[in-house]
Amino acid sequence: MSEVPIRQPAGRTAAARAVPQASPIVRRALIATAVLFLTIFIVVPLANVFTQAFSKGIEGYLAVFWPPQPPDGATLTFSQKRRFAEASAQAARTWSSIGMTAAVAAVVLPLNVVFGLAAAWATTKFNFRGRTLLTTLIDLPFSVSPVVAGLVFVLLLGRNGIFGDWATHLSWPDVFSLHWVGFADGAWPLAFSRRFTGVIFTPLAIVLASIFVTFPFVARSLTPLMESQGSDEELAALSLGASGWRTFFKITLPNVKWALLYGVILCTARAFGEFGAVSVVSGHVDSNDTMPLRIEKLWNEYNNQAAFTVASALALLAVATLVAKALVEWKSARDAERTEVGKS
Amino acid sequence: MTIEIRNISKSYGDSAVLHNVDLKIESGELVSLLGPSGSGKTTLLRVIAGIEQADQGSGPVMFDGVDVSGVDLGKRGIGFVFQHYALFKHMSVFENIAFGLRAKPRAERPKEAQIEEKVHELLDLIQLRSFELRFPSQLSGGQRQRVALARALAVEPRVLLLDEPFGALDATVRRELRRWLRRLHDTIHVTTIFVTHDQEEALEVSDRVAVMNAGCIEQFAAPQQVYENPANAFVFKFLGNYNLFHGRSGENAFVRPHDIVIQRTAESAGPDSRQAIVSHIGFSGPVVRIELERDDKSHVDVEVSAPAFHDLDLRRGETVWFAPRVQHDFALDYVI
Repeated sequence: MSEVPIRQPAGRTAAARAVPQASPIVRRALIATAVLFLTIFIVVPLANVFTQAFSKGIEGYLAVFWPPQPPDGATLTFSQKRRFAEASAQAARTWSSIGMTAAVAAVVLPLNVVFGLAAAWATTKFNFRGRTLLTTLIDLPFSVSPVVAGLVFVLLLGRNGIFGDWATHLSWPDVFSLHWVGFADGAWPLAFSRRFTGVIFTPLAIVLASIFVTFPFVARSLTPLMESQGSDEELAALSLGASGWRTFFKITLPNVKWALLYGVILCTARAFGEFGAVSVVSGHVDSNDTMPLRIEKLWNEYNNQAAFTVASALALLAVATLVAKALVEWKSARDAERTEVGKS
Repeated sequence: MTIEIRNISKSYGDSAVLHNVDLKIESGELVSLLGPSGSGKTTLLRVIAGIEQADQGSGPVMFDGVDVSGVDLGKRGIGFVFQHYALFKHMSVFENIAFGLRAKPRAERPKEAQIEEKVHELLDLIQLRSFELRFPSQLSGGQRQRVALARALAVEPRVLLLDEPFGALDATVRRELRRWLRRLHDTIHVTTIFVTHDQEEALEVSDRVAVMNAGCIEQFAAPQQVYENPANAFVFKFLGNYNLFHGRSGENAFVRPHDIVIQRTAESAGPDSRQAIVSHIGFSGPVVRIELERDDKSHVDVEVSAPAFHDLDLRRGETVWFAPRVQHDFALDYVI
């Protein structure tokens, strides 16, 4: 890191606001502490994840996702057959957890974008009774333990919950079972072949819990920006005869696009990584597993290498989000510089 | 287009910002709403624009005799210019100006060639033809405000509403732009309402000035009328510096610094003259500000032109006689 030269005005008195100039020893000590901390708590564990994941070599790593198949025509003993079948089943469960994580994120993200924009818009562009309360409520998931969040859903929608009667009999289609049935039965050629009953211990509960823990991110990353921008530009667009939608898409959205993307990235990272809340509502049913839940199961089954392998995949996703986040920050800073309308 | 508003009140929660305001503006007039901050002038402008709604029980806002109080901001046919420009940061100057034309419903939307022609015409009008591809961040404050004005004019508004348009600019640019605005208004003759807290600006530019205080219009008249025959003490005080003399019988005389005549001798100063000592002399270009100190230690500000000061040849500490040339008498129940 380069030192920033601090030019001091001539005739500066000792009483003037002093710029703290730490001695080199203090500076080095502070940097060393930070680096040490990061090494012990981030770098070493992360390195360990990858070491363990590759403890059986590249083949071992890949085998977690693509288990070895028996060679064609080989005669296998019963136990060999069993081992191959078991490995296949494990890999299928891992893939199902990856699919579940992706699906949950795919549902949660658009909802969060809509909710985040609406919430940020409401709290920054309007002045109404209870605005502060709303702002506080948006932050609630940051301060509530995810496990509590999961339990709240169980207590609301579970068998003995407040809405238990309604929720346990709720039947909803599995969106992935949508398939072509032709026009024989009527005008609509698509149908669902599978349905779920109930909410808790189904993927719907996973989605609900994920929404709960992720919803502050988009709203929180938009609020400060929208607050500072005020509503003059929107009013200008409206006064020129633009419709509300046009104003939103042509003026508001371009003005907040980087903050929105930033929020989406943080939200994705959280949706991928959430454990506590989804663990409670998943009921530990294999088909409900997301990647973090799958990792825990593999670990509990003493399948350490596989657990670390899936963990490493999740870690790679985290690194990817981090890179995306840095890119967005850099882009938005550059954009802000270009479009900054200074007040002269 | 004429604008008439009747009995408009507006309050935010418990605090009332406008009290039963009436105003009638003739077609093609340039009117300024002048007042200190918090006098309700911006709120009044926003009520006329349709950005704010007047309170229940208020009278109508009428454009050409038609009540528009229920009409949306975008459908009133207004052009609104904001203090901080409110230009669309991510659009070029061209796109900013073209925005209103492109936002029109498909049936009324001009063809691309017509849009281009119109924008170029406006760019010529604001003398920024060569800036069409720049972004707002690449313009100076004065240029930005001209673009904002062109953007508002593009949709051919029936009325132009300007909210402290030059408030964020420095003094030289302000002066230049307000003359430009006056010339512009003389060419396009669109009814214009202009909010400002700068007396000089209001008096110089407008056909009529509405002086506002605490949610009411104190006086609505031509600039000269407002300045020379202020309706009350508030208007007088707000329009410039003044000296206040308490008479023995309780009357109060307000006198502008430039309406005080200084003489060397009591005889030439006349029978009403009073004695004082020159306590300070401040040069400020064409005007010299002289501070007089009276026996009771009260101060009197006097402004004389530089040539007149030369003729007087005053020195600090000198004893002189002064008398008001013009004075205004108001009851003193008025407090700012």
